[in-house]
Amino acid sequence: MKSNQLAIGFVILAVICILVAALYLFGVLQIFASTTSGPHVKHAILFGALAVASLIAANFTREKAV
Amino acid sequence: MTLAQALFMGLLQGATELFPVSSLGHAVLLPSLLHWSFKQSDPSFLPFLVLLHLGTAGALLIVYRNDWVDIIKGFFRAAVRGRIETPPERLAMLLMVGTIPAAILGVFLETRIKALFASPYVAAGFLVVNGLLMLGFEQLRRRAERRAALDAKPRLVQEASFAQAERISFRAAALVGACQALAFLPGISRSGVTIGGGLLSGLRHQEAARFSFLLATPVILAAGVLEVPQLFSGRVPVAEYIAGALLAGVAAYASARFLLRYFRSGRLDPYGWYCVAAGLAGLALLALRV
Repeated sequence: MKSNQLAIGFVILAVICILVAALYLFGVLQIFASTTSGPHVKHAILFGALAVASLIAANFTREKAV
Repeated sequence: MTLAQALFMGLLQGATELFPVSSLGHAVLLPSLLHWSFKQSDPSFLPFLVLLHLGTAGALLIVYRNDWVDIIKGFFRAAVRGRIETPPERLAMLLMVGTIPAAILGVFLETRIKALFASPYVAAGFLVVNGLLMLGFEQLRRRAERRAALDAKPRLVQEASFAQAERISFRAAALVGACQALAFLPGISRSGVTIGGGLLSGLRHQEAARFSFLLATPVILAAGVLEVPQLFSGRVPVAEYIAGALLAGVAAYASARFLLRYFRSGRLDPYGWYCVAAGLAGLALLALRV
């Protein structure tokens, strides 16, 4: 399925994932974490990986010039 | 944990990890039945299991070394190009899609899962569930074979009628990946549920096993990288743990070679019946406090 709108959606999702990763990394976000304080590196890495996956998905879904 | 216990656990984990019988279930259940003094609720127990899994992942990397070279190259090529052109590129993207559900559930459910490790009753119960799942997967496969009029044909002909791992759909890869997350429950076999998911997606047994083993490697490696540093932060017998991990790797290598031959024509049924019997026996022994 090729659509520039979908690709933009994936880019926005990637940006959100990067922000969430940063919030976990700096200990601002504590949701679903095992402790209530400090940085959560695992969560940050997960959201970083999801951001990369979203960017790959964006590259796949964008319309390409033939 | 003594050296003998660590080696036993390594051999047990390596031998059972790739068989669809839940290595984690065995690793939680057997020490309790043997009345070993180390506590499974101890914070160092999960990293120890992860270290054993790293031994297994190392064995899988050796078994599939050529595949992994192609997959890694294919991943970067397809990601940059934004288009899949070759089977290894498709397999790389399928593995990425399949890994995401397990990674999300693993990170978010970690705390609750750790709490479950404390109970060998839970592990024995899930072992029975795992056995029933294996038997269920095979029943569904037999139904598919009957629908395709393959039930009277030899096993190798039956298997040849099903697909290779690269042909699986992305939706199916995500489903198999979600199945993988079930294996965080002690007693549910990661390879069992992913091989079962592969069978439901129309893969032949050997290819379902291959996809399962390939899918396991990134998750196990990532879990290892994140958990192993905890081993070195407290008073844990690191040398014993590493010896156990090495033995796990050797056992896993032998298991992988055996299973890839077995699944040319073999089915999940024997492992299903084993899990039901082992789970029930475990529950009985725990209840009787033998």
